Amino acid sequence: MTASASAPAQDQTIRLADVRKSYGEFAVLKGIDATVSRGEVVVICGPSGSGKSTLIRTVNRLEEINSGSIFFEGQDVHAAMSGRELNLLRSRIGFVFQSFNLFPHLSAVENVAMSPIRVKGVPAAEAHEKALKLLDRVGLREKANSYPAQLSGGQQQRVAIARALAMEPPVMLFDEPTSALDPEMVGEVLSVMKSLAAEGMTMMCVTHEMGFARDVADRIWFIDGGEIIETATPEEFFTNPRHPRAQRFLSDLRH
Amino acid sequence: MIHDMIDIVREYWLLLLIGQYPNGPLGGLANTLILSALSIAIAFPFAILLAFARLSKYRALRWPVTVLVYVTRGVPLLMLVLWSYFLVPLLTGADVPSFFTMLATLVVYQGAFLSEIIRAGIVALGQGQMDAARALGHGWFGAMRYVILPQALYNMIPSMLSTFVATIKDTTLGYVINVPDLTFAASQVNNQLLTQPFQVFLILALTYYVICWSLTALTNVVERRITRRRAGLLAPKRPLPVSLTRNATEQP
Repeated sequence: MTASASAPAQDQTIRLADVRKSYGEFAVLKGIDATVSRGEVVVICGPSGSGKSTLIRTVNRLEEINSGSIFFEGQDVHAAMSGRELNLLRSRIGFVFQSFNLFPHLSAVENVAMSPIRVKGVPAAEAHEKALKLLDRVGLREKANSYPAQLSGGQQQRVAIARALAMEPPVMLFDEPTSALDPEMVGEVLSVMKSLAAEGMTMMCVTHEMGFARDVADRIWFIDGGEIIETATPEEFFTNPRHPRAQRFLSDLRH
Repeated sequence: MIHDMIDIVREYWLLLLIGQYPNGPLGGLANTLILSALSIAIAFPFAILLAFARLSKYRALRWPVTVLVYVTRGVPLLMLVLWSYFLVPLLTGADVPSFFTMLATLVVYQGAFLSEIIRAGIVALGQGQMDAARALGHGWFGAMRYVILPQALYNMIPSMLSTFVATIKDTTLGYVINVPDLTFAASQVNNQLLTQPFQVFLILALTYYVICWSLTALTNVVERRITRRRAGLLAPKRPLPVSLTRNATEQP
């Protein structure tokens, strides 16, 4: 934690400073301070209702915050800005949802190519060609013309990852990407995420997949009650968690 | 009876088709079709704007439109027609042709109904589609145009069709403010014949039926074409195991 907090600013892709959010009386985030460095893979874990999903959704401003700031490559995400600036900012932060949220009226390749065409103004032919390459990368080139309803959950989530990558974001956020999947489909999604991590993508993942966390994460943030109560390398976290709540969480997972 | 009707059509077909035109204003079936087409063509985009306003986070947009929609839906169309007919000239001093009074009234009235259908279609999609579009960098209007509306409008085709058909049928109320439409022409014919009201108005009913039925048939063709294009989406829905797990485990 201390090492990366003192790292030079340009290495910090994401920096959260005293981020607070509440729904009415209920405080969801109670002062989050953390940084994600370039190329780092951070896994956020913690019990249900601890604020993990809310936290990751504040990073691209799908959720507003009440106070504090979040910086993405030095830019304050929650500062007052025009719609155009916010759209540009969001287009540079890839986001993968728990429930995939593919556009059901578009085929897989159209799902991937649509936003580069409509948001970035990439020529359609070029965008489609690139979309096919991305589908190839997630192992679904032969499904390019299938519609989401014709794809399995794992396939849909891989298309969703390709769709996010199509905007060429320097960072990818994953909000429980495998929680809605049948167990036999979890692996295919995780392996795509692993290959992304291996290519040096900066990633923040909310996940319950502790195997993934152990193998891929550079750091783990353990969050409970709206606070990050432990940050550690996977090795430290799994072998010697310091905080009693993290210990309890891990022992619950084993049962 | 059938003979009477054929005779009436043979005798008065021009009046029923175009009214007094070219000696008077265009009327008859032609005017009914023009009025219907214009009403639908204007009410549809108007309704989308109303739906946007109803969904807006800005109260200044949401509240007035909500009031408009509630009032319009709670008042009989005939009252609105009469109000517009008597009040608009009184308030503006302008002499508005009854055709345009009727057109404006139909647009507001059917626009209000249609906007609720469209709003329901948008809301039914859920927040996930909008979130996904925004996360990719689409603006609100871009998300609406490329992601939300193509789905919402398609899903709402049957309900919207009923409103379109209702609009066509509601053009008959223009009769009370002397819009020279098909109903007006039929009533002129009836006034000349005096003895055959049943035959005259049966012709009228059949004509409206054919128009509305044609619109339904046309919409079905369009719907089928879209369905075929989105082949995967509307093939008989296999209950994918994913959809069950998703609902069970998804967190808010």
